Amino acid sequence: MASLFVKLFGKTLRNPVMNASGTLGYGKEIEPLWNIETMGAYVTKGLSLKPHHGNPTPRVWEERRGLINSIGLQNIGVDRFFKEHFPFFKQKKTPIIVNFFGFTEEDYIACAERIKPDKLIVALEMNLSCPNVKQGGISFGKDPVMVHRIVKEVKAVTRIPLIAKLTPEVKNLREIAQAACEAGVDGFTLLNTIPSLVVDIQKRSIPIKGGLSGPVLRPVALKAVYEISSTLPVPVIGTGGIMNHNDALSFIMAGACAVQIGTATFIDPFTIPKTIKGLNEYLENCRCPRIKDIVGAAHG
Amino acid sequence: MLKAMDDIEGKIINNNTIAPGYRLLKIRLSRPMDQMVPGQFVMIQVPDREVFLRRPFSIYESSHTTLSLMYKVVGKGTESLSRAVKNERVSVLCPLGKGFTIQKRDVYLIVAGGIGIAGVHTLIQRLGKRATIFYGCNSMAELPLMGGASDLNPYISTLDGSVGFRGNVVQLLAKHMKTLKNKDVEIFTCGPENMLKSLKKLLEREKIPCQASFEERMACGLGLCFGCVKKTVDEDEPYKRVCREGPVFDLWQVCL
Repeated sequence: MASLFVKLFGKTLRNPVMNASGTLGYGKEIEPLWNIETMGAYVTKGLSLKPHHGNPTPRVWEERRGLINSIGLQNIGVDRFFKEHFPFFKQKKTPIIVNFFGFTEEDYIACAERIKPDKLIVALEMNLSCPNVKQGGISFGKDPVMVHRIVKEVKAVTRIPLIAKLTPEVKNLREIAQAACEAGVDGFTLLNTIPSLVVDIQKRSIPIKGGLSGPVLRPVALKAVYEISSTLPVPVIGTGGIMNHNDALSFIMAGACAVQIGTATFIDPFTIPKTIKGLNEYLENCRCPRIKDIVGAAHG
Repeated sequence: MLKAMDDIEGKIINNNTIAPGYRLLKIRLSRPMDQMVPGQFVMIQVPDREVFLRRPFSIYESSHTTLSLMYKVVGKGTESLSRAVKNERVSVLCPLGKGFTIQKRDVYLIVAGGIGIAGVHTLIQRLGKRATIFYGCNSMAELPLMGGASDLNPYISTLDGSVGFRGNVVQLLAKHMKTLKNKDVEIFTCGPENMLKSLKKLLEREKIPCQASFEERMACGLGLCFGCVKKTVDEDEPYKRVCREGPVFDLWQVCL
């Protein structure tokens, strides 16, 4: 019998497959199609201290083998999430990773403080791609000094393990990750979407600026996973254009101990359960008893 | 209450042009779709590897295992779909979204513009002769879009004046507003956003109850991504998902 169980921050997950933040609503939306407890863990929509309305439309734009989104982090706020949606995960006994963000350091700290430890909360996932409004709008995640400081500050207010979700829009990802590690981060999610835009040549305008996701991003994310997992001593969750179990395997072999699926769910809402099934079949076919034994297998 | 949705394998029966630039896609489903509410929609995977995301379409007609979708060829997705031929396979996620709610009223008016007829067609079939239909399009060539609605004595407007009233459908409706005075009326509508805007203006004084079906660029169609929103008057949560809280909204709740 193959085992997809993985251990992450001391918690056992039934499999290494999660959704990427913001791609599975508040969780309940998928229930008519499949059960949320199928997943290793549910990653929440990005939550902020106060509710956030998000951006006007267009918010989504199809690209070749990719999707640009500019949702603008619409969410009901951390308090309402825990009041209205967390009981659902409790009832389903489904572990969650709480993705959160802010536009100031204080926002991040206050948001993290609101989240009380719970046996179902595997980790907090900090979205570092947000603009720091007090520093001229530069993303928190682009500057190693800022990353170090904010990770340290958030770590000081919570006992829940902290994952940093990094933006690919940096000169040196290794340096950013190193700074987060030195500040005590417990793991990474690699990568966030790539900043991008579309030009409408008829109207000579820019209809959308946003984050590019989907298969077009996969090789970039794989390299990040490979590089960070081979040089830093904390777990890495891989995400970026995973469409099926083979893609998931490539991330796992590149060093990811778990994977997140996002854009693919929009095309086939069953991608997550199909990937889990595919991973299980892979293990059985290659007589590999445990998924955790192939984490980083490509490192040689 | 959301009806059970499902992802059903389908096979194209035909994909014929019904008016210049408009097609009717008929699909045989491998198993029956759950009972739908007029105004609901489907997401279909266009049989073309270059088209990445599914595309949303109103349900134009449905029976046990067949489904008809009417569409206008406007972009990459519909362009590619227009080339799909008999027996090609499509994956159909259905039925989706919140449709029209039919309450007991004295008068039901259905106001549709252009391809917007697709969004109210199943409602027209449900209400039959109980509904008075106002339909506006560019010219006579587009009248086939009406399908069964043409048997229900619709009021018609064309922008070029080739049939019926010359002008748009809201101008046509304006001429009939007097007859609605002091009546228990509900309007159901679907059409271009400019049409909905002027309809809202026309109904402003009387605030006649009106349910409107909206469209928006969508990624998932299931409420997962929050990509397809409409701004509403709800101050706490202004942006509502067209695919989940809609596509049918109370016109008075939507900011246009």
